[in-house]
Amino acid sequence: MAASSQFKQLEKLGNGTYATVYKGLNKTTGVYVALKEVKLDSEEGTPSTAVREISLMKELKHENIVRLYDVIHTENKLTLVFEFMDNDLKKYMDSRIVGNTPYGFEMSLVKYFEWQLLQGVAFCHENRILHRDLKPQNLLINNKGQLKLGDFGLARAFGIPVNTFSSEVVTLWYRAPDVLMGSRTYSTSIDIWSCGCILAEMITGRPLFPGTNDEEQLKLIFETMGTPTERTWPGISNLPKYNPQLPQHLPKDLGALLQSQTREKMDLTLIDLLYGLLQSNPDRRLSAKQALNHPWFAEYYQ
Amino acid sequence: MSVHELGDVSAQNEERTNSNENTKEDVNTSMKTGDQGPDVAEDLVPDVILPSNFSKCSRGDLVILISRMLSFLIQINDSAIKSEHNELTRFHSRVPPQISVYDYLMRLTRYSALEPAVLISSVYYIDLLSAIYPAFSLNSLTVHRFLLTATAVASKGLCDAFCTNTHYSKVGGVQCSELHVLENEFLKRVNYRILPRDDNILCCKMERQEGLFVTDTYPEGNVRGPNNGFNVLDTYYRKIIEIVGSYDSSPDKTKKAHYSMEPLLKKHEIEPSNKKRVLEDSEIKTNSNKKPA
Repeated sequence: MAASSQFKQLEKLGNGTYATVYKGLNKTTGVYVALKEVKLDSEEGTPSTAVREISLMKELKHENIVRLYDVIHTENKLTLVFEFMDNDLKKYMDSRIVGNTPYGFEMSLVKYFEWQLLQGVAFCHENRILHRDLKPQNLLINNKGQLKLGDFGLARAFGIPVNTFSSEVVTLWYRAPDVLMGSRTYSTSIDIWSCGCILAEMITGRPLFPGTNDEEQLKLIFETMGTPTERTWPGISNLPKYNPQLPQHLPKDLGALLQSQTREKMDLTLIDLLYGLLQSNPDRRLSAKQALNHPWFAEYYQ
Repeated sequence: MSVHELGDVSAQNEERTNSNENTKEDVNTSMKTGDQGPDVAEDLVPDVILPSNFSKCSRGDLVILISRMLSFLIQINDSAIKSEHNELTRFHSRVPPQISVYDYLMRLTRYSALEPAVLISSVYYIDLLSAIYPAFSLNSLTVHRFLLTATAVASKGLCDAFCTNTHYSKVGGVQCSELHVLENEFLKRVNYRILPRDDNILCCKMERQEGLFVTDTYPEGNVRGPNNGFNVLDTYYRKIIEIVGSYDSSPDKTKKAHYSMEPLLKKHEIEPSNKKRVLEDSEIKTNSNKKPA
């Protein structure tokens, strides 16, 4: 394991969920890294977020997942040494706002990013790990156009049967309707919903469902995707926070809705993929593997 | 350690979790059955059938089984302790704590709301830690600190509901600062490989050899099969029942019962590769090098 003296701490990159991140330079190799400093809490000891992030990311070696190189222990802090990435998707999207008007990406870039996102997610799921906090801020990009999943502080393994699955996961805008309604039996489909929201956001430059609380979030989802019923989603009425008085909305034309917010041409296979990812019923959502085999990605797998 | 001095635990109110009410009940009932041990007729040892899915197993029964398993290991390792392998570890107490393994584990389970997966993981962690850290063995001096550390780490690493170290240390009867040190020691020794996966020991050894935090090579041709290593806890559960299910098998006599597992339903419903299971069985045997031949 490395010593902290091996790295030169440079500018602050940001505050993560439980840590401060600095840019660092590996003095021996000349390679830039990201140094995530975690304070050891006098009550908590090593924070569970750090325990998870380290133990899960050790298992995940993939070109679309940020690499964890090392962990450095010092007396009152823990420093996680990560692969350095130039930017994150959120900042990159923000940089394209002209005046007050957000612009989506060129369709070829949308496709390349979504493809990489789904590759990373598929790898997590193959290794029985749920990310549970996919959002543009947690998708890191570099100058080569590579996209990688980062911040596994909320992630967990799902092959291990435990009784307690928290429904307080995923940032609101990217949270699936089943989780919003209190489901604790979610699985890989929780990440797929987020991938759908991120895809739409890359197209238009705006978040697809920017709710401010749980109720409004569900309302926004159902206004666009249609209110699910026991017929379209068997078992929905058993969810803890299911509200039978939900106003009934018919699904809107998602393709037309997004097309009105971008100058890029959206083809039918893209719209079909969006519907596959944004199924309200988690059982009907595509898996990451299925999504990667979707015709919209044909140019990558042919 | 002064567990026996620690009287009433008011710490239970600090639990962050609120989803354990139903499971808490089964601990209590099992406690009662455990306590009535001496009243039962001498020669009558009832049979108890356990569910094949460990997460459905009552935690009371699980605590009894695990205490039997630990006492069984401790008996063996205590008699081996006089040899030259007498290095002290962070997990050592100066004298064996007064509280029995069963009482201690039951206490942790009850007041820290430990889940079945956490309980079984701590047995798995014995094999993991002793394989990677030969100075450690589970004996009457190390068992308490080990259990406290293992259950705290497993709860934080595997579950969504867990408590603070302040809480765990109060329940476990050690200073909180000491639990921090123990936790850190454990995580460093096993190189943070705390997910129950069957290639952990190999990976840890390679990481040590290569001087790397994360090894670049996975054993077996760098490939992890789709089912490779994801049923470690099932295997441990099954092996524990096999080894100490019988009342006569362990020095721990807390509950008069012969445990066995319900028969698995249909052949095609059993985990896909039987071959894999055989492999894991032999691995468990070799890893627990403190068990008799």
